[in-house]
Amino acid sequence: MFNQLGGGSSNPNKDLEVMSPPDDTVSALEFSPPSLQQTFLIAGSWDCRVRCWEVEASGKTVPKAAQAMEGPILDVAWHDDGTKVFMASTDKSVKCWDLASNQTVQVAAHEAPVKTCHWIKAPNYTCLMTTSWDKTIKFWDTRSSVPIMNMNLSERCYCADVDYPMAVVGTADRGICLYSLEGKPAEYKRVESPLKHQHRCIAIFKDKKTKQPTGFALGSVEGRVAIQYVNPTNPKDNFTFKCHRPPATTGGYQDIYAVNDIAFHPAHGTLATVGSDGSFSFWDKDARTRLKSSEMLDQPLTKCAFNHNGQIFAYAVGYDWSKGHEHFNPAKKNFIYLRACYEDLKPRST
Amino acid sequence: MGRKKKKASKPWCWYCNREFDDEKILIQHQKAKHFKCHICHKKLYTGPGLSIHCMQVHKEAIDKVPNSLPNRSNIEIEIYGMEGIPPEDVKEHEKQKSGGGKGSDSEDDEPAAKKKATTALLGPGPSTVSPGILPTPMGPAPPGMYHGHMPMNPMMPPFMQAHRMMMPGMRPLFPAVSMPPTSTSKPTFPAYSNATISAPPTTSTTSSSDPKENGEVKPPAANSCPLVTATGAGSKIIHPPEDVSVEEIRARNIKYRPKPKPDAPVPQPQPAPAMITPSTSQAEVWVAAHMNAAVAAARQQQAAAALRRGVLGGVVGVLPASMPRVPVSMPQMAPVMPMLPVMPQFNLVRQLQPGMLLPGGMGGMGGMGGMGGMGSMGGMMPMGAMFPGGVMMQPRYR
Repeated sequence: MFNQLGGGSSNPNKDLEVMSPPDDTVSALEFSPPSLQQTFLIAGSWDCRVRCWEVEASGKTVPKAAQAMEGPILDVAWHDDGTKVFMASTDKSVKCWDLASNQTVQVAAHEAPVKTCHWIKAPNYTCLMTTSWDKTIKFWDTRSSVPIMNMNLSERCYCADVDYPMAVVGTADRGICLYSLEGKPAEYKRVESPLKHQHRCIAIFKDKKTKQPTGFALGSVEGRVAIQYVNPTNPKDNFTFKCHRPPATTGGYQDIYAVNDIAFHPAHGTLATVGSDGSFSFWDKDARTRLKSSEMLDQPLTKCAFNHNGQIFAYAVGYDWSKGHEHFNPAKKNFIYLRACYEDLKPRST
Repeated sequence: MGRKKKKASKPWCWYCNREFDDEKILIQHQKAKHFKCHICHKKLYTGPGLSIHCMQVHKEAIDKVPNSLPNRSNIEIEIYGMEGIPPEDVKEHEKQKSGGGKGSDSEDDEPAAKKKATTALLGPGPSTVSPGILPTPMGPAPPGMYHGHMPMNPMMPPFMQAHRMMMPGMRPLFPAVSMPPTSTSKPTFPAYSNATISAPPTTSTTSSSDPKENGEVKPPAANSCPLVTATGAGSKIIHPPEDVSVEEIRARNIKYRPKPKPDAPVPQPQPAPAMITPSTSQAEVWVAAHMNAAVAAARQQQAAAALRRGVLGGVVGVLPASMPRVPVSMPQMAPVMPMLPVMPQFNLVRQLQPGMLLPGGMGGMGGMGGMGGMGSMGGMMPMGAMFPGGVMMQPRYR
């Protein structure tokens, strides 16, 4: 399908391929936290499994382990100590996977598929935050089957991010809700969406000087990202930009693709977006410029992640359903690629 | 026409909500903006006209009116100036105008949405409909009634059906059209399904899709389903027509339905926790609930630190420290299948060099990359073997 449109090959950017990639589209991708000496990568997939690889210094990836759930995986998250992984599934549950013992135990449940899970590490507490299509956000002590806290969302959750002391949730019907995690989780405020189309991905960014979370980037299905500050000093600080819109080819019509994921570089504060068009781009939100755009792949990019020190950029390639189920080709392989990215993401010198 | 009655609302374009002083201008606008063929630039008179033109002349399927707002992109509804606008939308428009127009707020930078006149200010009088439209005293007409009002000839429906049927064979320039009718269940008269969405897209139409208790997210009822439509000129959002996340659409697919858990009760954490209000007592509960967690976390941090230093023999050494957080049910969940040696290299202390992944490091990538690991990975794949009968689920929620 994408090939017919003149799209690129499976690895036009000459990046490193992760060994034994998932059998179906990657739905979640996370690098291990800095608490671990080595670098591990976990990926959740529509094939109901979560896989773990060790990423060696050479760039070699070694498959380490895998776990399965009853339904496709929608999100994964690391425990801050790096010993456990949380897996959210359409089977309405979240499981905790203890990597050391390779055992899983259910730690959260919703009344609908669980869209996101995030581990919250606060000075005075730790908990697991889960959001779901059942229009709730819940906070769990992982030892109890009852959530510590349960709040309603305006709509089904589509995306969420956590960076203590801030959490943000994007929902269907263009809802955004901010949470303050200080002391205990509490709704901070609901924000009017800067975008006009369905929310798809959200990522918190930090202030350059204070290193505290200060805003978020929100991506929509309309190939657009909004940079939004929680408390903008100047209303003009907030802006949106277009992306993942390849130049018009077919009959003068421009195809607009969804922004599937956004990730901020941990060291530079610049960001990466991956799109349904099959490309990734690096951006400097402060200079409001694009730092790099990739070659076009022959399938959508579904997820991306930076490792904790920002040396590695990982992105997942596979069909994202954006053209409906009839364009799903099960024979098409899924990939995860790794790329040395530290230089590419350096902000524009000012 | 519209301005003869001074109190009457201005003519407005159903496709983009823009208002005009004169219906003639409106018609010119529609011909230029919404009914122009993007291939030969011929100006047609109506949406169906454009659709027929493109189909017959260029063999192209047009599924949306160019430059139209989401929900107003229906190509099959015949609108000419103010004629043919669904009565519900007329009513809604009046309401918007009178009721302090929420919804015409945020402006996109797409050229089509650039100008939205929001000047009309009049009460919701019953006769504010411009003469072009047939008055409908009964308010929003039920679909059956609406039929009669359509200035459409009886031969239209068969054509539109034929038009639909031709779609799948066409080039998937507009893949949305080639969606089988299953997903959104488009009726023969899609006009109706869309016509009932009377709110402009900028006001958020509260979705009607309630997650069912069985967890399956139901597609919103067809007649209340907002659609994903580009606002810009000559652009097309690559997304299923329904304004629901692709994950939800995908999860509906039979292939991705969660496997039924044989005898495990559906985990329903009880009692249904109420909304937590920020009262002091609850805050105390919150803190108390976390005391233990904090202790455990501290232990884990120690363990992690040890791991970093490489002092401990490895993960096995970490395990006891992290045990307290693992529920008591752990022992019942002994691994069911012959696992590979668990994370054999987790304990290796290896420096992660900056500058890894540089091209030089690529040499070894080809095939040798952990074939052993791959093998064991493959061995783990048969998932049925991993979860015989939902054993994993039960312990916690029994």
